[in-house]
Amino acid sequence: MEGWWRENYANPSSRHAAGVAASEALDKARRQIARATGAQPGRVIFTSGATEANNLAVFGHARARRGHGRHVLVGPLDHPSTRMPAMQLIEEGFEVEDLCLDSNGALDLEDAQARVRPDTVLVTQMFANNEFGCVFPIRELTKIVRRSAPHAAVHVDAVQALGKVELDVELLGVDSISISGHKINGPKGAGALIRANDDPMQALIHGGGQEGGLRGGTQDVPSICGLGLAVKLAEEEREDSTARMSELMRTLRAGVRERKIGRIIDLGAPKQEMLPNIISVIIEGPPAEVFLHHLDARGLAASAGSACQSSKKSMNPALFAIGLNEEEARRVLRLSIGKVTSLEEVQRSIQLLDEVRSELANIV
Amino acid sequence: MRSEVNLQTSSDSASSASSSAEERPYLVLIRYGELALKGKNRGFFERKLASNIRSACEGLSKVRVELRRGRIMVWPEQKPERVAKRLQDVMGIQSVSLARGVPLDPELIAEEGLRSVQEALEGCPADEIQSFRVATRRGNKNFQMTSSELDCYVADRVLPELEKRLKVQLKGADLVLGIEVREKNAFIFTKRLPGPGGLPVGTLGHVLCLLSGGIDSPVAAWMAMKRGCRVSYVTYHSSPYLGDASRKKVVDLVRILAQYQPTSQLFVVPFTKCQEAIRDFAPERYRTVLYRRMMQRIATRLARRNRCGALVTGESLGQVASQTLENITCIEDASGLPVIRPLIAMDKQESVNLAQRIGTYDTSIEPAPDCCTVFQPEKPIIYGRIEECLEAETTFDLDELLTEALRGTERIKVRLDD
Repeated sequence: MEGWWRENYANPSSRHAAGVAASEALDKARRQIARATGAQPGRVIFTSGATEANNLAVFGHARARRGHGRHVLVGPLDHPSTRMPAMQLIEEGFEVEDLCLDSNGALDLEDAQARVRPDTVLVTQMFANNEFGCVFPIRELTKIVRRSAPHAAVHVDAVQALGKVELDVELLGVDSISISGHKINGPKGAGALIRANDDPMQALIHGGGQEGGLRGGTQDVPSICGLGLAVKLAEEEREDSTARMSELMRTLRAGVRERKIGRIIDLGAPKQEMLPNIISVIIEGPPAEVFLHHLDARGLAASAGSACQSSKKSMNPALFAIGLNEEEARRVLRLSIGKVTSLEEVQRSIQLLDEVRSELANIV
Repeated sequence: MRSEVNLQTSSDSASSASSSAEERPYLVLIRYGELALKGKNRGFFERKLASNIRSACEGLSKVRVELRRGRIMVWPEQKPERVAKRLQDVMGIQSVSLARGVPLDPELIAEEGLRSVQEALEGCPADEIQSFRVATRRGNKNFQMTSSELDCYVADRVLPELEKRLKVQLKGADLVLGIEVREKNAFIFTKRLPGPGGLPVGTLGHVLCLLSGGIDSPVAAWMAMKRGCRVSYVTYHSSPYLGDASRKKVVDLVRILAQYQPTSQLFVVPFTKCQEAIRDFAPERYRTVLYRRMMQRIATRLARRNRCGALVTGESLGQVASQTLENITCIEDASGLPVIRPLIAMDKQESVNLAQRIGTYDTSIEPAPDCCTVFQPEKPIIYGRIEECLEAETTFDLDELLTEALRGTERIKVRLDD
């Protein structure tokens, strides 16, 4: 990335040699991403991140298909970057419905079958969930959509799945997926929408015709180069790193159970698979945020499902979507394992969780 | 959204994303067409095809390749579907099927057959009835049943389970359950994906293709590969009249063609001096023909140095002014090697269709001019004469220009996974 800031800072749309070199660098990143996702390089659209890619997908697919219908289905646990644009579509006259989870927390495919209609123009569903680590059955969902909604686009937010699950836009049968650099140790501020076909799509940012006219604006060459390399490495190391993370996850799960830290949320298991790197735990005792600060003070970074002072309205809706009450939602602690996490660190984390649990049990 | 969700507490039943159900592993079953007709040197063609299959899978998955009478079996360690997709581009392959192998037991064959049909039906509308048949090929004549007996045996077990979804139709069925009974196993599949056919790249020698950046020449290169040639490329660049974008376009085309031949080399020849000499000393109407004669000479020398046995061009009779029979004669006169013109009798639309199929079309139509457009004559000669060409070429130092062009030639290695 460094060289594209310091030495060759040319605009990739320029026709001079430095510009052509910059555009070659973009093409290389496009090929790296295309190869990792089974797409054509020309169908990789660089964006400022997955939020923009998801916005582009939701508005872009739905608006371009308006002539065929105005019905949109959204994944119940989807990230706000797809749910919020979908809500915005209501203002434009679209009818937006949620897909549902079954009583076990898995995506309810029978319900999906009943909801998909001939005038459905967009179905968006995340591949793997960022809170609970569950992997949704995208292939099955896509088959259902294809059977009943000939004009619908299927968009998949694959941010969490990238580098952990095999991603192939053609094999999945979807129309587009979105990815982000920062979830795979790549640069922040770089992401992409990857399309499986050239079906009509409307641009969100209009300008100089970059990215096949779907995303105006001079591309951020250094970040995109970093994104390309990060995606390439994530895919190359996927088998090894998921095997390693699964092993660590087994240790972490066993530790959480044995030390009675809390209840692990296995959403939809065993019907749905789980990512090997994320779990959410409903901890025993205090709100997760208090727990989190005590862990932080000891050098362990975790995330709380919701801030303890926040109102129900500002709490993560995914927690309610899976049926938790407000009090439980406040006790959700998310633990994730990274690419560089070691067994010693996992064992130490279990010990720290245990320490904080017993300390807080006496106070709170 | 439903709020009554019964959350499972942690259990060992939660599977990780990398594990899968107990299924038999996929293999890719490869049929080759014309190759099977070869006589004593068939082994050579088969071994080359097997080695090309291995190269094509590099960077995708480790594979085990087995040669068995009339078939090649590829066992991928991972991503079987993508391996099958990639192998559809390997020259010499007639078709590929993603299959599962089962022991030679009619009951197990029927069981796997049922599962494959169920899988195939998942993608079809639930209320639509698919026509169906079983098609057994029995390579192993020691197997206890004949092909038609096994067809009936399997159909008898599949049909009752899927009564509402299938109806038997022996000719032109939508869904054909294929069974190949071999020495140790039977292979079960429901799809035959077409390959390009032809002969394995590298079995019929090495050629040098003149690549312009237009629609035709990449198609010509692909067709030469399809007939078993390994292809290297040469392109001519007129810097500073043309920018790097024109050069990049040709590199991009070679990279797309790397799908069909994973490694290749491209020679980029500086052509400006040649063009300036022709502009300054030769009759204007002859410029294009003389450019092309120069290109043939340079290509011939490069080809000889790199042991290429022929030149390949994208010429098509009568498509442009330089491609009349007379002009083609003038141009070929300057070549010292056979010139193969796979597109000679093809219409433009046919070339366009092929370019779209092989994936070069979108790059070919990018707006970056090639060197022939530099100093283009207002009225190019249509019926050129060799004597006129030879006379025009006495007005400048041909050898000096050739030597200089070859000295400045750059060699670029292009790999599929670059």
